Amino acid sequence: MAHFITLANNMLKSYEVLEHTADIGIRVKSSSLEGLFKNAALAITGISAEKQKIQLPEKHKIIIRQKAVGVEELFINWLNELLSVSAAECLIFEDIKINEINEKFVDAVAIGTDMRNYKINTEIKAATYHQLKVQRSGPFWKAEVIFDV
Amino acid sequence: MSEPNIQLEKIDNYRWRISKNYKPGMRVCGLIYANEKLLESIYQDKALEQVANVAFLPGIVNYSLAMPDIHWGYGFPIGGVAATDIEEGGIISPGGVGFDINCGVRLLKTNLQYGDIKDKVEDLIYRLFNDIPAGVGSEGNIRVSAQEEKEILIKGARWAVEKGFGINDDLDCTEENGEIQGADPQAVSERAYQRGKAQSGTLGSGNHFLEVQLIDQLYDRQACDILGLNLGQVMVMIHSGSRGFGYQICEDYSRKMVESLAKYKINVPDKQLACAPVKSSEAEAYLGAMRCAANYAWANRQCLMHLTRQVFEKIFGLSWQKLGMFLVYDLAHNIAKIENHKVNGQDRRLCVHRKGATRAFGPGHPAIPEKYRKIGQPVIIPGDMGRNSFLLIGTERAMQETFGSTCHGAGRLRSRTAALKSINSDMLLKELKSKGIIVKASGRNTLAEEAPTVYKDVNEVVDVVDNAGIGKRVCRMRPLGVIKG
Repeated sequence: MAHFITLANNMLKSYEVLEHTADIGIRVKSSSLEGLFKNAALAITGISAEKQKIQLPEKHKIIIRQKAVGVEELFINWLNELLSVSAAECLIFEDIKINEINEKFVDAVAIGTDMRNYKINTEIKAATYHQLKVQRSGPFWKAEVIFDV
Repeated sequence: MSEPNIQLEKIDNYRWRISKNYKPGMRVCGLIYANEKLLESIYQDKALEQVANVAFLPGIVNYSLAMPDIHWGYGFPIGGVAATDIEEGGIISPGGVGFDINCGVRLLKTNLQYGDIKDKVEDLIYRLFNDIPAGVGSEGNIRVSAQEEKEILIKGARWAVEKGFGINDDLDCTEENGEIQGADPQAVSERAYQRGKAQSGTLGSGNHFLEVQLIDQLYDRQACDILGLNLGQVMVMIHSGSRGFGYQICEDYSRKMVESLAKYKINVPDKQLACAPVKSSEAEAYLGAMRCAANYAWANRQCLMHLTRQVFEKIFGLSWQKLGMFLVYDLAHNIAKIENHKVNGQDRRLCVHRKGATRAFGPGHPAIPEKYRKIGQPVIIPGDMGRNSFLLIGTERAMQETFGSTCHGAGRLRSRTAALKSINSDMLLKELKSKGIIVKASGRNTLAEEAPTVYKDVNEVVDVVDNAGIGKRVCRMRPLGVIKG
């Protein structure tokens, strides 16, 4: 999908899928925290939705602001807020612009179009803390998270 | 991914113990119901580690329990049961209920026999697929106003019956009468309302389904007589939950409880087990909101049953009453309940978490509908779409050992990603058709992800439960037609 190609210009890979008996885990990596959060957000779209012929091209911009006591909590709050807004507003997010981010705060704009432009293959209920890892390793930020599907 | 460090102590052929010494911090031992064959698959993922983690929860009594359909979940294993003593600082954990609060099953009978239906299965399945909204984010055709929405959260399935979508007898045959007390709409976030608003009257996705089945084996004649069941009888099973509404409640309160772990000085090995003492404001609010989601799910399954009855009426040209489409039972398999149980001979008030596990109260319990009280609570165990499902009854032994709980299904064996890589959906459809099973699925991946081979054999799981005495087989069903969300 187009947004992954855009992302791939700056980052090695947007996400890889981890094996889990009942649910779906992903591993994401980026040279920055901003890239890590973006990649994880767009992995949700990659896992759950498949673009169809666009009927409703209007773009919707949603402000997502989250804070937490640490980067792991922030990462989960961020993903769950995106899942929640996506379901409540019937939108699929195609791009993310992060205005400000640190390990305890993120301020971003999620840009999406109507869910009806997509075929939904997998419903992600939530991101979980189980076996969650968000850490800096050498020049990279890495994260692993399991989604309840 | 196996966990070779976990040594299991064999108690008997169906019971295995994880020592309290396995990890510092465990307050009780783990107890796993399984046979040696099932244990091989249980060892393949991280479920046993999760059983040990649940044993850390404050106030947990007796054991961290695992049913034979146990598999790797998040926080709790799927197939996990844990009870905490409320007066001894016992906690409640939203992760011990899960995101799909009151995901559950209902089973209705008909007076049709295979011969009455065999030429109509395909029509019936296509009509059911067409008339019952299914799939991710699907919108229901039973619409409700904002005012009614709050009413549903309090009244549950009774709301649906008052609207004409069923009869009082349906409520008698539903766990908690489909209306758990203590629901508090004030404890529900605006976002949860938004997420749930379009989805009542719909089936969920993934493992949520509706099946038309045939009874192909009887095990307990007396129980079958009381339940009105016979060999060859056509049955319908509906599996659904609280959808986005429940997911949001779990998320809202998981977040709150992660934040309050330090406040209550609770140490858990996995933050998805975040919890708060039952006697705390956080727990009280969660219970109020969780019960709203439970009632929402019961109203939803009641509406799904109503739509199913309507489809049968259209196909057979008779009223659903004439078709004998009465509810056998409906129960939750993702829920936490405040219940009285005996612990070491003492009556205790417990918070019983059943995460992918089913209530299975034994004969004589006042929570069982009067007409079934003599035999025990009906327990519905769905299998996979190619093999069998079961109806069981609860036992006195389950009351003594598992806080009146038993397994909830077959349990997954293989991941969705592995299934998608190795299973061809078209071939699978053909194979099922050759066995006389018609399948319609709305999600492209659903069919492969839910293929029979990704599940444990439910016959094996039920065999363990029956032999261990924590559930008693009544009859077995095989699928004729399946719609998958």
